Amino acid sequence: MTLTETRTPPAAIDPAAAPPVRRRPRFIRYVLLSGGGIVMMYPLLWMISSSVKPSNSVFTDESLWPAVFDFGNYARGWTALSAPFEVYLANSLIIVTLSIVGNLLSCSLAAYAFARLRFAGRKLFFALMLGTMMLPGHVLVVPQYVMFDKLGWLNTYYPLLVPHFLATNGFYIFLMVQFMRSLPQELDDAARIDGCGPFRTFWKVIMPLCLPAFATTAIFTFISVWNEFFSPLLYLTDPELYTVPLAVRQFMDSEGQSMWGEMFAMSFVSLAPVIGFFIAGQKYLVKGIATTGLR
Amino acid sequence: MTAPARALAAAPRRRRRQDRAGYLFLLPWFGGLLFMIVPFFASLYLAFTEYDLLTPPRWAGLDNFREMLGDALLHQSLKVTFIYTLVSVPLSLAVALGVAIVLDRGVRGLAVYRSVYYLPSLLGGSVAIVMLWRYLFGYDGIVNDALAWFGITGPAWTTDPDYALSTLILLHVWTFGAPMVIFLAGLRQIPAMYYEASAMDGASKWRQFRSITLPLLSPIIFFNLVQSLIASFQTFTQGYVLSNGSGGPADSTLFYNLYLYQKGFAEFDMGYASSMAWLLLMIIAGFTAINFLTARFWVFYDN
Amino acid sequence: MDDRHDGPRLDRRRLLGLAGLTGLAATLPACSRGFGGKGGDDGKIELNMVWWGDAQRAELTQKALDMFQAAHPGIRVRTEYQDSSPYKDKLAARFAAGDPPDLMAMRFDSLREYADRGTLLDLTPHPEMNQSGLTSSARALGTVGDKSFGVPSGLNTIGFIVDKGLTDKFGVAIPDGNTWSWDDFAAFAQQVTKASGGKVYGASIDAWTVANLLVFARQRGEDFFTADGRLGATAATVTAWYQLVADLRKAGGVPPAGFIDQNNGTSPAQSYLAKKSIASQIIPTNNLLGYNQACGGNLQLLRVPGETQGPRRGQSIDTPALWSIAASSRHPAEAVTLLNFLINDTEAAKVAGVTRGVPASRTVAETITSGLEPDNKRSSEFLAALQKEKLPESYPYPVGASKLTNILKTLTTEVEFGRMSPADAGKQFIAEAQKAIAP
Repeated sequence: MTLTETRTPPAAIDPAAAPPVRRRPRFIRYVLLSGGGIVMMYPLLWMISSSVKPSNSVFTDESLWPAVFDFGNYARGWTALSAPFEVYLANSLIIVTLSIVGNLLSCSLAAYAFARLRFAGRKLFFALMLGTMMLPGHVLVVPQYVMFDKLGWLNTYYPLLVPHFLATNGFYIFLMVQFMRSLPQELDDAARIDGCGPFRTFWKVIMPLCLPAFATTAIFTFISVWNEFFSPLLYLTDPELYTVPLAVRQFMDSEGQSMWGEMFAMSFVSLAPVIGFFIAGQKYLVKGIATTGLR
Repeated sequence: MTAPARALAAAPRRRRRQDRAGYLFLLPWFGGLLFMIVPFFASLYLAFTEYDLLTPPRWAGLDNFREMLGDALLHQSLKVTFIYTLVSVPLSLAVALGVAIVLDRGVRGLAVYRSVYYLPSLLGGSVAIVMLWRYLFGYDGIVNDALAWFGITGPAWTTDPDYALSTLILLHVWTFGAPMVIFLAGLRQIPAMYYEASAMDGASKWRQFRSITLPLLSPIIFFNLVQSLIASFQTFTQGYVLSNGSGGPADSTLFYNLYLYQKGFAEFDMGYASSMAWLLLMIIAGFTAINFLTARFWVFYDN
Repeated sequence: MDDRHDGPRLDRRRLLGLAGLTGLAATLPACSRGFGGKGGDDGKIELNMVWWGDAQRAELTQKALDMFQAAHPGIRVRTEYQDSSPYKDKLAARFAAGDPPDLMAMRFDSLREYADRGTLLDLTPHPEMNQSGLTSSARALGTVGDKSFGVPSGLNTIGFIVDKGLTDKFGVAIPDGNTWSWDDFAAFAQQVTKASGGKVYGASIDAWTVANLLVFARQRGEDFFTADGRLGATAATVTAWYQLVADLRKAGGVPPAGFIDQNNGTSPAQSYLAKKSIASQIIPTNNLLGYNQACGGNLQLLRVPGETQGPRRGQSIDTPALWSIAASSRHPAEAVTLLNFLINDTEAAKVAGVTRGVPASRTVAETITSGLEPDNKRSSEFLAALQKEKLPESYPYPVGASKLTNILKTLTTEVEFGRMSPADAGKQFIAEAQKAIAP
């Protein structure tokens, strides 16, 4: 909350940028933005507050400022599971890092083909790609499980990783296709005249211009893979291999006793890398401005 | 060979080279297609069987599809899903676009706002957040306490069948962060010189929005629209966590995908679930096709 | 990662580099955890055992398993546990894919879904599984026909808890739990609401919980589910059940429509009792400790009302979960050994405690009761007292019964908000339930 409030600068801080007449609307805009920010921040604050409440008062002590503090949730939560919590963090980091690499490589290749190359069957394949996004995952669970079992991949990270290297997520391909299609065709023509083949054009011309799309893909991949629950649940059986969401869920039993305080503490711990990555990654969203200057 | 003849012979060769380059770039994707196509066809086959997960499937022809016609819960789930999609998709996209445009206009501390507005999407469907929603929107939760200040008696947001779906839509709109980030990335690709040029011509902000921002952002708007529709028709987690998988109160949040899951995993009727899945695929494909067909009238590409 | 293929000449080097990078990323950590680098085979027989619960239960269970592995050095037990709802999804998927665990916790209401389809091991031909310490009604919980497909991992029943701290504060006397009628209960609940000035409601009756309705039906002389797996309840009974709650709501004994969230979960810390917005409710007795901790330590445990007025008793001995063995287990003998250990080993039962309910074997239960925490001791003694009385038996839920939970929930909401009369809801419930569990 303080974060947004201190970031509500009166227009006076920036006198050169705006003539005096424009101060009022800008001030109002900041007030509205910050007010909205508080609404958006509330869940995080609540989570932090819950993480330092004793398990039994998480739901009965309604105040954001705990009546009783229990910082022990963090220490206990860190060590209560069969492996210390850093193991789960490391597992998740490995999976997330490789997934991002895989998604960026494989999806950008496919997206370039769909967006900039003309080849037989392009429309059909594109429709097929979209089609793969449309079938509810629940009915694929059993066939996929059988398939990965036949491949001998159960209880390994392969079922979680290999699909990312094979561009199986149409969302990212489609996203990049839309960004690439909005770049002018003259870029490719110029590159071709300079003697560039498709790959060189892709690597030297298109990729740098799509940085915001890549940053978006990396951020979304991080978040979705980091939070992914059902696939790791299915394919991992060795608790040492568990990812963070599986570990966090082990603090609770929805039909009985749960270690709420510990669960909230570790939920917050597991949220930190995501927030960190988002803040780091969004720099590259801004970088797009510089690159568009090329045009 | 004469020059025109050579050109004629070269054309197919160039096309072949183009084809080859295309397939080469798609190579990983073709590999992935193999991974997807096997379970895909397996589920298509299961759609025509009676399959209880525990004993081998038995061929049932069109039985599952026939059963759908008289399944009142299926019709309820279609209704819930359509209402949810038709209301929440335009609403959340409009909010996302609006906030993105405000944030794009050189706001100080942009990074902070962007992060803060993205937070709910990060927290999304986590167990912890669902607990919070229950407690915010409970009968005597904070929201109703706040309304009571203004003398308004709030409804039972999550337990009254007349309100539960609206509460979920609100929850969804609140997580507008993902499309917002995509809009922001798209806005960043619009060259500033267009705005500078039109500002010199004395164009108003609204005019700039209409004639520069909207057309140049249209591929991204299109993406968000198609993607949100697909995702919305498949909504599962939100319905699942808030109603503990029941679709309650009184089936008012029984999303299609939630009912499908209940059929497949709680009631051991995976054959029926599979046929439901393929019906949904056809519905989504229909909407997506309409999107693509109308796209030529409002989506502008630079080439 | 076979991205290496002939491309246009200009691009080949780049592409090779890219492919190499891709391959590297996937293979580099190949020898480490999660990439198939399994530990050496030490010749032990490995059993996979799965259950649901939280980390606390896991710790206690692991202690018992350590004792087992010390006593059976040739067997290694590889365990996995989850929250109950993802647990059952994964279990179904593993069975469907032909990769079931050896020993698993089985939901009482799912037993027949699995057993009737031949996926569970019949324990009757395995005399090594000693069930002689179990009463016949405890054994009946895992029995389908003349076969035994599961052994209760613990026993429980339902009980009525009352927050004495609240009733004392408002000066309301708690009726005698062994003899109170539903009318006594209604009067008590209204008194609390009235005395608190509407700040605290007397009770919540979770009308949508099948286990509660089941007891009510028995009190009226009906088996909700019959021994041969049919629906035995009548529309009149379901109607009476809804009517009871509706009347009490009108009189103010239970909260108004929409106050109680059916899907709130059954965790003690989240309960309305812990929030002090109600003064009494029905719980599974094995959760008494958790509720008492969450509610401030002044809970009284009573029997369900109406036990002495109806044609017969309603309460029965139940189980939160059974232990079952997969029919396709590759090591059935060892799995039976482990199961027998979990049921009959007193030392193991001592460390594992009563997180899954009172041990099914009476001899084991009697040995460990004295060493329990006061609340667990209280619920164990409550159950032991019931076990000595003549109670109707509880039969495994028939196939299709899982749908009943949602049907009951939906109709409860319809009645709660006055969108349907108790009579109509009762009729509709029976119609839908019969359709759901028809063979």
